[in-house]
Amino acid sequence: MAQILVVDDSSTVRDEVSAFLRNAGLDVATAVDGKDGLSKLRADAGIKLVVCDVNMPNMDGLTMVEKIRGELNNKTVNLIMLTTESSPNMKERGKAAGVKGWIVKPFNGPAVLDAFRKLAS
Amino acid sequence: MHAPVSKVLVLDNSAEHLPQIKSFCEQHNLVPLKVRRGAEMSVLRTNIDLGGILYAEDYGATPEQTASIAAEIHAARPELPIILRRTGRATLADLPETVRRSCCAAYVASDLGALRAVIGEYIFCLLYPNALLRGIAEITASVLRSQCRPLVVSMDTPHIVRDRVIFGELFSLIPLESAWCRGYMMLQTEEGPFLRLLARQHSAATGIGFRNVNDLLSEITNLIWGGFKNRYMSDDGTRAAKQVQVPLIVNHLHKYISFGTENPQLCFRFNLFDPVDGGAVTIYARFVFNLSWTPEEFREVRQDTAGLVDSGALELF
Repeated sequence: MAQILVVDDSSTVRDEVSAFLRNAGLDVATAVDGKDGLSKLRADAGIKLVVCDVNMPNMDGLTMVEKIRGELNNKTVNLIMLTTESSPNMKERGKAAGVKGWIVKPFNGPAVLDAFRKLAS
Repeated sequence: MHAPVSKVLVLDNSAEHLPQIKSFCEQHNLVPLKVRRGAEMSVLRTNIDLGGILYAEDYGATPEQTASIAAEIHAARPELPIILRRTGRATLADLPETVRRSCCAAYVASDLGALRAVIGEYIFCLLYPNALLRGIAEITASVLRSQCRPLVVSMDTPHIVRDRVIFGELFSLIPLESAWCRGYMMLQTEEGPFLRLLARQHSAATGIGFRNVNDLLSEITNLIWGGFKNRYMSDDGTRAAKQVQVPLIVNHLHKYISFGTENPQLCFRFNLFDPVDGGAVTIYARFVFNLSWTPEEFREVRQDTAGLVDSGALELF
């Protein structure tokens, strides 16, 4: 069972974020795109926080979070976007889909660790 | 930010005229590259960031040889404009067909105004806003510093190039779409130096392969693209225009890429240097606005400063 699911098509980002969180003592699973993310979330009821990119192949991150709240009817998992996108329209769409927070890349682990711990507990 | 320069190959042996060319180049943001006779083709094979060629009609030992060299250069690199210096009249009209096909224009030493016009037409025909040049440099350098620690990052003055030859073995492409520009950003680099960089970052080379290099270049591309998009591309609805596309052609044998346009490209060369072991990585970032370019509509995206959040920080809703 993992506490945090990191969804990013870039293995560089997946490795960087998951290694940082594991070193901080958190249990982490990873997914390579939105489809894979939905599948991993379905299979693991222990996931409390999803950290997700926006621009990904097969299924983008915002579609994925909309499906988490809609198709999966999962209203409790915390959703954080980790992306190069910072446009207000994107953020509004994220907010409307139930996204709890937004991080503009690059990832800065120490700056977000406390918040991630709370959201994953 | 310095205005973009362009590198030109100078195939002209006139002792009288060379200082004039040098002075002209200094005044017009050109970097002259002098080549010894007989080395033209090898220089053309190794230089991937040329803007054009200044060629003298007496460069060859005979008019036939001059024509033959011009034809050989044009056949090898047709994208490079060959501008011919003549001693008589500034025209190609009275020259053999081989020369007329190979060269794009002619000038005489006594009237450099004609050369200025040709340079403007063939090399500096696209104007790039200074804020755009500065922004690309800042965004790219910042991404490279964050992704390629502990290397020191420096940048050459931006170049205008007409070359279509690809540098290194590895390149990435990502579309740039906005109301004022449509085209691609292309990053080019060599695999070997990048592999060594990754090995240093992971403090052991085991398990590091070309896919890791691909991933790193992909993430660098993504981050630069994101920075560019957030700074210069608002959600301004370019959907109708997005339907227009042209095929891109890549020829691996000749390390050649065409975007279906004769337009020159905006090129940045970034040099990454390891002060500890002397290792170096070179990355070329090319901006190719092949589908649309209206710099008069260029603008930076205005963000609500009250809502600005530093990159890497969590903005809670």
